[in-house]
Amino acid sequence: MANEITKDEINAVFPTVAETMADALGCDVDDIKLDVSLIEGLDAESIDFLDMVFRLERAFKIKIPRGKIIDNARGSLTEAEFEQKGVLTPIGLKQLRSYLSEIPTDRFADPMKVKDIPRLFTPETFCKLVVQAQREAKAAV
Amino acid sequence: MADGADHFAAFSFVDRITEFVPARSARGVFHVPATIPAFPACLVAEAVGQLAAWVSMEHIAYRGRPVAALAGETRFLGDVAPGDVLQLAVEIDDADDDAVSYRGWADVAGERVIELNDCLGPMLPVADFDAPEALRERFFLLRGAGARPDRFRGVVAPAVAAVEHVPGKSMRATMIVPASAAFFADHFPRRPVFPATLLLDSQIRLAAALARDVLGLPEGDFPVASRMTHVKMRAFIVPGQRVDALAEVMATQGSAIRIALSARDGEGKTIATSRVEFNPPAS
Repeated sequence: MANEITKDEINAVFPTVAETMADALGCDVDDIKLDVSLIEGLDAESIDFLDMVFRLERAFKIKIPRGKIIDNARGSLTEAEFEQKGVLTPIGLKQLRSYLSEIPTDRFADPMKVKDIPRLFTPETFCKLVVQAQREAKAAV
Repeated sequence: MADGADHFAAFSFVDRITEFVPARSARGVFHVPATIPAFPACLVAEAVGQLAAWVSMEHIAYRGRPVAALAGETRFLGDVAPGDVLQLAVEIDDADDDAVSYRGWADVAGERVIELNDCLGPMLPVADFDAPEALRERFFLLRGAGARPDRFRGVVAPAVAAVEHVPGKSMRATMIVPASAAFFADHFPRRPVFPATLLLDSQIRLAAALARDVLGLPEGDFPVASRMTHVKMRAFIVPGQRVDALAEVMATQGSAIRIALSARDGEGKTIATSRVEFNPPAS
């Protein structure tokens, strides 16, 4: 990414992200670690992702279009370059690994289905989403 | 399965849409029939949600319809009686093919009776639930002369049998959703789904019984639900399904009490979660 999101930016939004996620998932805020898998570690389901994004929009007064994480991950690749018939292309997988650089490499399946991407998401993924949306909002002013 | 006479009647709570700004807002009216025994607060919330559904479906040309999923906060501000006229209002924050987010309220005779904030319903393909053309025609009617009032004949709440009561802490109950009911023909004609608002109504009654016990109120005196938050529907409930409901005290503060609600299917999978707050009845 040309303008990489820094640790400081992530740490700045993490406390609010953690509180928001704990509220959405009905768990203790201490359970929300930056690197915990939301699906496998905290039993999040697709409705919880919708809830979290909805809450983050209000908490940070930002707009997060649905599907934004995948869009951000795809970067400059076209949809056909990124995935074919629901499976990431080799260049798509490389791009995803680069975008989700905080996720250990062994958690990426190869080949990887698009529908399995959310299994990788952690609170840090959502922190990056918030920071990106804040940057875009600032740039639009 | 679906009785045509029940479509847009057995579980439809907008008689007329009086003001309409595409994709942004609407005002509507529903006449609560004087002939039914009661009109619970959850059905008032349903009426507000249905008005939001009309705005969002019209906006996306009936490709999708929203289903109940998240309701951040519902404030119960007053009772609605048979014969009352609900003035409904919704303000749409965002609506597209994926979801609608909105807030809304209902007034009776100029007094606010309910307020919904931070609601979100994901859109599902409308043709799975209803005939898009029938919905389009219905919207045209609601925007014009309006529907004939007094179509609604009431609903029979599923029996909720308490199976376990830990005094001061929790109450567990089992309910069986009816295998057939008139409202299934309206909610929805092509795919019957037990309305989330009826589940919430049953859960509030269970929580009220627990709150009464905790607050030490005399037999027959039930506390009043003042606010519901964190409503999250995770799965559809189908006709004939067994639902296990649990109400657990989260906190008490003075004479107010907050209760966590959850509902699970027969296999233990969570269907719905929410929180409800009670105040003691006004003396």
